[in-house]
Amino acid sequence: MLAPVLIFVLAIALAPLIFSFSISLTDYRLTDPTQAKPFVGLGNYIKAFQDKAVLETLWNTVVFTIGAVTSQVVLGMALALLMAGETPFMRALRSVAILPLALPPLVVGLVWKALYNPQFGPVAYYLKQIGLSVDRGLLGDFNTAMAAVLLIDLWQWTPLLMIIFLAGIKSLPGEMLEAAYVDGANRLQAFFFVMLPMLLPVLFIGVLLRTMNAFKVFDIIFATTGGGPGNATSVLNFHIYKVGLTFFDMGYAAALANILLFMIGVCSAFYILLLRRQRAAESL
Amino acid sequence: MRTSRAEHVIRNLAAVLAVAFFLLPIVWLFSTSFKLQRDTFQLPPLWLGFEPTWNNFAFAINQIRVGQFVLNSVVISAGTTLASVVLGTLGGYAVARSRLRLMSASSYFFLVLLMIPPVAMLVPFYLIMRDLGLLGTYLAVIILDTVYNAPFVVWMMSNYFRSVSTEMEQAALVDGASHFQAFAQVALPLALPGLIASVLYCVIFSWNDFIFALLLTSPSTKTVPLAIMGQFSTAQLQWGYMAALSVFAVLPMLLLALALNRYFVQGLTAGATKG
Repeated sequence: MLAPVLIFVLAIALAPLIFSFSISLTDYRLTDPTQAKPFVGLGNYIKAFQDKAVLETLWNTVVFTIGAVTSQVVLGMALALLMAGETPFMRALRSVAILPLALPPLVVGLVWKALYNPQFGPVAYYLKQIGLSVDRGLLGDFNTAMAAVLLIDLWQWTPLLMIIFLAGIKSLPGEMLEAAYVDGANRLQAFFFVMLPMLLPVLFIGVLLRTMNAFKVFDIIFATTGGGPGNATSVLNFHIYKVGLTFFDMGYAAALANILLFMIGVCSAFYILLLRRQRAAESL
Repeated sequence: MRTSRAEHVIRNLAAVLAVAFFLLPIVWLFSTSFKLQRDTFQLPPLWLGFEPTWNNFAFAINQIRVGQFVLNSVVISAGTTLASVVLGTLGGYAVARSRLRLMSASSYFFLVLLMIPPVAMLVPFYLIMRDLGLLGTYLAVIILDTVYNAPFVVWMMSNYFRSVSTEMEQAALVDGASHFQAFAQVALPLALPGLIASVLYCVIFSWNDFIFALLLTSPSTKTVPLAIMGQFSTAQLQWGYMAALSVFAVLPMLLLALALNRYFVQGLTAGATKG
């Protein structure tokens, strides 16, 4: 029964990837009227590692991914602990808090772009009221643009982590916490030494899902900054899109995509190794 | 540990503030969709005290003809969801019940597939679809959306199937049911919450997709997010029009999320929580 999905996915996903590898070894430009595809070997890959824009966007990808995952995991856990109560009021609040994750990321980006707008945006207005002036807007300033984009991502995806962690908290055996309190543990100790170790599996799933998606972020950057100002918020995924599908330099774009794929492969291999060790430890 | 009354109040207050943070941008979007152009630029921002208008919605329906885009979005997300859930549920069941180490390890393989950056697929997929003459069809978008959604369903459903007891399936097999009957008549009904969660995520992801539709659709198969982006790039940007168009993309998903909110975690955490 695995065969249909395996065949479908292998045929559709692997064929383009193999095709992409062969394109990446050529100088293939859709804008070239002769449509010649001279073979350049590893030229595109060598070019990538000397390309300042690529190194910048690579760095931005790392900053964005680590920033997004860390901030959202911490806030998501805090909210899960805060909102774990089973009163009807809390339950109603929880069902409203998850709404951001159902929205199209493109719309989320556009809404926040308007909120941040330096002339008429509410965020800029209220910041001015408390004495912070943002003349180019948070998205337009080189120093704050990345943080502003990270806040948008945090707004949309923290609720997902909150509900994943909540599911974990709900499944904890109550006796262990009771025992810790009886033994005189304070709340912080009970959280770090009793709850957190038992929450590792859900924590792991949350980090995994968010890392995968943070690496691939595209829509909110497309909608808000277009990678700017300068290259301040241009992540590798977005840069490849520009090279391949607006400059039509297909060979180079394919090489960059393969480099990103390789990075993601290394990260996921690391994750899977961790997961297997954890599963093995559990079954002992 | 008992919680005091004061703590109870502080907790509720903090929770309300947190929820306000998540809700206000959505409130802003909806209120802007009912605002006249002059009110969208008011400072301090008008959250409620403005003269509501249906003009923006009339513009979205009559001028932009959002109906066609909604229809395109429905076709693409229904097609993707159907294909992904059928392929993914069968695959997930096979992965969960297999005794072969290689098979049960393959759920990791499906997770890795999810990490392939969309641009890595898009460049070659765009060229392949162009050569096959499928560029601009529903099918092109559905195929690529399914490549990303089906593996996610495999992973979720394999988690879910692993968490349900196999006793009844084995009893059915002993009674002479085929493997497929045991799957369809015994395991699948037990895994219904996971199945609903899979449908929920597939609908949300494919409805909200922007990058695949951006490159693979033609003017007649464009989805709602593309119509919104199109409005955004016009010279005289009217936030009211943009917001009204966005409501068509946002409202169905909000209603779905509210109705099915307890299913969001089914299948995601099935392997990681006990009970």
